[in-house]
Amino acid sequence: MKRQKRFEELEKRPVHEDGFVDEWPEEGFVAMDGPYDPKPSVKIENGEIVELDGKKKEDFDLIDVFIAKHAINLDTTEKVLAMDSQKIANMLCDPNVTRDKIIPITTGFTPAKAAEVISQLNFVEMMMATQKMRPRKTPATQGHVTNIRDNPVLIAADAADAALRGFPEQETTTAVARYAPMNAISIMVGAQTGRPGVLTQCSVEEAEELSLGMRGFTAYAETISVYGTEQVFTDGDDTPWSKGFLASCYASRGLKMRFTSGSGSEVMMGYAEKKSMLYLEARCIFITKGCGVQGLQNGAVSCIGIPGAVPSGIREVLGENLLCMAMDIECASGNDQAFSHSDIRRTERLLGQFLAGTDYISSGYSSVPNYDNTFAGSNMDATDYDDYYAMQRDLKVNGGLVPVKEADIIKARNKAAKALQAVFKSLDLPEITDEEVEAATYAFTSKDMPERNMVEDMKAAQDLMDRGVTGVDVIKGLYAGGFTDVAQAVLNLLQQRIAGDFLQTSAIFDKDWNVISAVNNTNDYNGPGTGYHIDDELWEKIKDVPMAINPADV
Amino acid sequence: MTEINDLISKIVNNVQEEQANSSSSTNTATASPQSAPTSGKTMTQADYPFFQKHPDLVNAPTGKNVKDVTLEAAINGDVKPEDLRISPATLKAQGQIAASAGRASIQSNFDRAAELTKIPDERVLEMYGSLRPYRSSKQELIDMAEELENKYGAKICGAFVREAADEYEKRKKLKGDN
Amino acid sequence: MSEEINEKLLREIIRQVITETKATDKKVDFNGNQASSSAATATATKRAPGTDAPLQLDWFKHVGPAKKGTSTDEVVVAVLPGFAEHMTENLKGIKHKDILREVTAGIEEQGLKARVIKVYRTADVSFAGSEGDQYSGSGVSVAIQSKGTSIIHQKDLEPLSNLELFPQAPVIDLKTYRAIGANAARYAKGESPTPVPTVNDQMARVKYQAKSALMHIKETKYVVTGKGPDEIEVNFD
Repeated sequence: MKRQKRFEELEKRPVHEDGFVDEWPEEGFVAMDGPYDPKPSVKIENGEIVELDGKKKEDFDLIDVFIAKHAINLDTTEKVLAMDSQKIANMLCDPNVTRDKIIPITTGFTPAKAAEVISQLNFVEMMMATQKMRPRKTPATQGHVTNIRDNPVLIAADAADAALRGFPEQETTTAVARYAPMNAISIMVGAQTGRPGVLTQCSVEEAEELSLGMRGFTAYAETISVYGTEQVFTDGDDTPWSKGFLASCYASRGLKMRFTSGSGSEVMMGYAEKKSMLYLEARCIFITKGCGVQGLQNGAVSCIGIPGAVPSGIREVLGENLLCMAMDIECASGNDQAFSHSDIRRTERLLGQFLAGTDYISSGYSSVPNYDNTFAGSNMDATDYDDYYAMQRDLKVNGGLVPVKEADIIKARNKAAKALQAVFKSLDLPEITDEEVEAATYAFTSKDMPERNMVEDMKAAQDLMDRGVTGVDVIKGLYAGGFTDVAQAVLNLLQQRIAGDFLQTSAIFDKDWNVISAVNNTNDYNGPGTGYHIDDELWEKIKDVPMAINPADV
Repeated sequence: MTEINDLISKIVNNVQEEQANSSSSTNTATASPQSAPTSGKTMTQADYPFFQKHPDLVNAPTGKNVKDVTLEAAINGDVKPEDLRISPATLKAQGQIAASAGRASIQSNFDRAAELTKIPDERVLEMYGSLRPYRSSKQELIDMAEELENKYGAKICGAFVREAADEYEKRKKLKGDN
Repeated sequence: MSEEINEKLLREIIRQVITETKATDKKVDFNGNQASSSAATATATKRAPGTDAPLQLDWFKHVGPAKKGTSTDEVVVAVLPGFAEHMTENLKGIKHKDILREVTAGIEEQGLKARVIKVYRTADVSFAGSEGDQYSGSGVSVAIQSKGTSIIHQKDLEPLSNLELFPQAPVIDLKTYRAIGANAARYAKGESPTPVPTVNDQMARVKYQAKSALMHIKETKYVVTGKGPDEIEVNFD
């Protein structure tokens, strides 16, 4: 065929490099309204659920059993299931119906009813509903702080940088698993240097992650994965009961935690049981509820390429975020993985959560360039900051970040690197040189950092665990190095575990350690002029982007 | 969330309450946040943040009050890792706050957590490992439930593990089933 | 389009796996590569999903159930159920034969023996590594999925933990596979090697995630619950 020149040009556009797949319901390649999805139903006999979404009790798998026993409100579910799904969907996006009127309904759902209700909504209606159903009135976002060399000095400097830009929660992980304790300490020290009150975590294998928390190296955990089919759950090396137990372990040590799920994971792991992504994700949200866990990271997360490849997939992703929040669970709403070659589609991916506002719009905005993102790259990275600031300013939206002054960033990065240098010295870890401190202060990526002896670092990391080093030792090191204010911030962070206020739904801290959660910052949206609004002080900051020309200067 | 769990949970709460507070006044509901905190009362949303509203009640399981966890004390070696832990009484209070804010399931998690505070870190990690699929025989899980119940008084967690043991057997998630 | 998700290829994979799931008698040829699959005979009987006959390969022979190794100078290379016999190339099109040659060469260049087994219990790379450890005299194993994802595992680790993990199959080249083998051998010798440098290509996932899922789905079709691993004799000559 003779090629039409416009078609040839179009094929060169970045969007042509993305993966698109036709629907294939038999293997779960369908976003919502799957042809094999069950119809909602519930039957209760003698105070026990004997039928759930078309399945009889004797046919229940582990997930059905867990949901039936722990996640469904027996007092209301029959009544709720008798309600028209379209009517409930209408209430969800109606500004006149407040959140507190809806929660008693959504918590009476079964997974199939939940999926059916969400499927009624178009994308804009989902955004309307999200704005209202977000548990915490004030939106926020979470940042990734990593580098591919696991360089601790750079992690500390980057964490301080990210803290200054407004991330109230920061997440690191490792390129090499054995680095975990060192990365956890580095991000904690860096973040508390940048802005006291930031919560930090280090995503590693579940048992190890808890162990880091117990020692006082992390304040919360998020990558506690749950899945929508039994086979995949088991392949993830857990069951709803082991995850429920793990959830209580975290709370018993005063640590915040949320689960992680997300559409596409069952397809990725090969056992979707012919169900749509939204239905399987609904099951994950119910497991979270049944475990009594306050929050969930969802929205396809690392499997975004799967819903992103099928029709209506990105709508489904917002739908699963909405369902999580509508069930009164904190939502860290994805936007945390490289999604598209096309900048237009990257923006499309972000918009629903960004405009409506979620508890964490991104569950991992890459605060470092994607080159250094060991979560395999995020949807937005450090090189997108100024675009993000411009979007906040153009639309008067609080996307969770604030513009910063270069001089302030340099100062904070330098101080964080020096603070970590002091901690390493006091804990007898491999030396951090002045040259490294200088490099970390001004670095773009880990390429700008002098090489460290990785073998020595890993041995030291193991040794940290063997010696039984704890958060108190980090405080002593900071104090000995003259970083009294940072020592105080780390102490304040550890104090919070005694009080447990940040175990409540959607909790973050401001710089003065005031907790802000769904309990004391309840979303009360009820139409224009109500709910969250940007206050004058924040608006001044958002307006002040580095690119703006002051007319007085012209 | 089953009725039996609720009942057990209630009983355990009561017992813990008695243990945690020598003075057990039982005025339920809503004292104003400004009033002198009576430790036996049921906490509500109005008692949140607990740290700010009731600092005198924020004690580690060692008995150390949060206000004594100062920088000076930490530097002088007077703050042990055990002094930086949450107590069963605080978890119970946070559970009541969650329930009063309409989140009963969070309370059930905190009730389990309150029981687990008594178990050493290493043992808690091992118990979690034993609950993972294909790790334990049914008997081993039942033994673990008994340990939870008898050694640590963790009745809710014990029942939770027994429930898992039954379901793992039915769905073939016990040792050797893979 | 050759480097990116190739829609035609995808369609073909999907069509084939569907055909397979529907248990028809059609020959499964994952890559549409007639040359490499000439040994696969199209059987005439209906069969359940994932029971298409494995390719009969002269370089990859089953020699009975795997035995637990006792010599500390060996590293087990555990390949997953679909490897070589149901799929022949990784996500990026690198031949399984070449991958295995490089990994074993990497182990041998460190003076250790490589022993190859095929696991059946799981399609998950970490669990395969964990199973490989139990058969490895040194307690160290390398596991490789059909799509190419690899792990270095050691026996006292949790199944989902690792010594080194290479989650992004599209960025692993043959040189890296060799380095993975070499590092595994060095762990087995009790050394602490510098980890194989991580390459990060944030667009790899975007390009390959759907295809990766399809290959993994295919891998799961060959999982046999309860079946222990087979010993594999490899011959690269």
